[in-house]
Amino acid sequence: MMRYTDFTTHDLLLLLQGLGVSAALFAATTVIGGIIGLGWALLRYYRVPLLAPAAALLAELLKNSPVLVQLFLVFFGLPVLLETDLTPVQAALVTLSGNTAAFIYVIAVSAIESVGHDQTETARVFGLSRWQTLRRIVAPQAAAFGFGPLAGLLINQLQVTSLISVIGVIDLTKVGAILNLRTLKPFIVWTVIGLLYYLMARLIAGACARVEARLRAHRQWKGL
Amino acid sequence: MQLQFDPTSLVPYFGDLAAGARLTALACALALAGSLLLGILVALMRTAASAPARRASAVYVDVFRNVPFIVQLFFLFYGLPEIGLELSAFATGVLALSLAGGAFTSDAIRAGILAIDPGVLEAADVSGLSRAAIYRRIVLPIALRSAVRPLGSVFVNLILTSSILSAITLNELTGSAKIVAADTFQPFEVYALLLVLYAVLTWVVSLSAGALHRRLNREHAR
Repeated sequence: MMRYTDFTTHDLLLLLQGLGVSAALFAATTVIGGIIGLGWALLRYYRVPLLAPAAALLAELLKNSPVLVQLFLVFFGLPVLLETDLTPVQAALVTLSGNTAAFIYVIAVSAIESVGHDQTETARVFGLSRWQTLRRIVAPQAAAFGFGPLAGLLINQLQVTSLISVIGVIDLTKVGAILNLRTLKPFIVWTVIGLLYYLMARLIAGACARVEARLRAHRQWKGL
Repeated sequence: MQLQFDPTSLVPYFGDLAAGARLTALACALALAGSLLLGILVALMRTAASAPARRASAVYVDVFRNVPFIVQLFFLFYGLPEIGLELSAFATGVLALSLAGGAFTSDAIRAGILAIDPGVLEAADVSGLSRAAIYRRIVLPIALRSAVRPLGSVFVNLILTSSILSAITLNELTGSAKIVAADTFQPFEVYALLLVLYAVLTWVVSLSAGALHRRLNREHAR
């Protein structure tokens, strides 16, 4: 059997492809997880019976268990239970979205609670509905409060995406495993993979810092 | 479609899962010790007067916090034998967990050190204590005491992260559950049980850390 132990230009394409898969899954699950997590926080804000405590329990379970186990439960467990088929990418989408949702929920709840009750009480006395209070009073302040934790979460969730390689999604880490097996140059391969993740994390941190600076712009003294 | 959820048939496999849990506990305990040692060293470097020490420790924390754990793990697992260092999967796993945990631990301890009232350190300095004595008797006790709760959440993360060691053929709790799932053809029950087990375990750990934190800091409550 021939062995191609040297790096080829094709490997560069493979790396880019892996990078794209990781970035795309990260972006998609951040958006989906964000929407679901905010939905759970709304259930709590409106004190919906049964659903609100259920969301809190689910978030607690997802937050306190390994993502790898959640992945296995969805990828190996759900198809057996529901007698359906799930592709690795579908399982990754479901798991990562759910996991992100749990952390978004926690951030959103503490951000909403950071807005004092005196403000919501005042809004109620002025005749604002609960939705108006949320939209006009709570949400703007909560958004500013929750942004710092959100930035930290995003960087963490980017790293979490690396676990989907274990169920066979060809993401950046899986490309690393493929190249590692073929070239037998673990130091070069894993340094490059690590560097690419590092650069992506830097990119996210930089983007978050810019947005946060804009959110805080109103606090800066601009002069008369 | 029939929904079947029957966890009772897993009972004969509890021994296997318990063996896996013991391995997880051992790996986490060793990695906790390693993380603490490394975290204290790095936290002292990060708060040191020497600029090269501060820079080197900052680079370490930055790298290990921003690269996924599984990449660090594969780097060590496949890389170390290349340079003639043949470690078992268990030793590699503990090493990787300690290195990653050290970065997060140093953050918690550094925050504890920075929170120390500068007056205390000045008083220690003028009273003629040696630097080693200041670190050992004043800085570290205060910093560690105020860092118990954050260290608890670092430990919780360490436990959750240890599941990734199953990716380098280590049959800790998650690894042994994979075998049980394959044996019983009941992956949903096995992983659902596992998920709840981890959640209970980490819940107990963070409750204990919180209780310990309150106990150690009860005279210093703000």
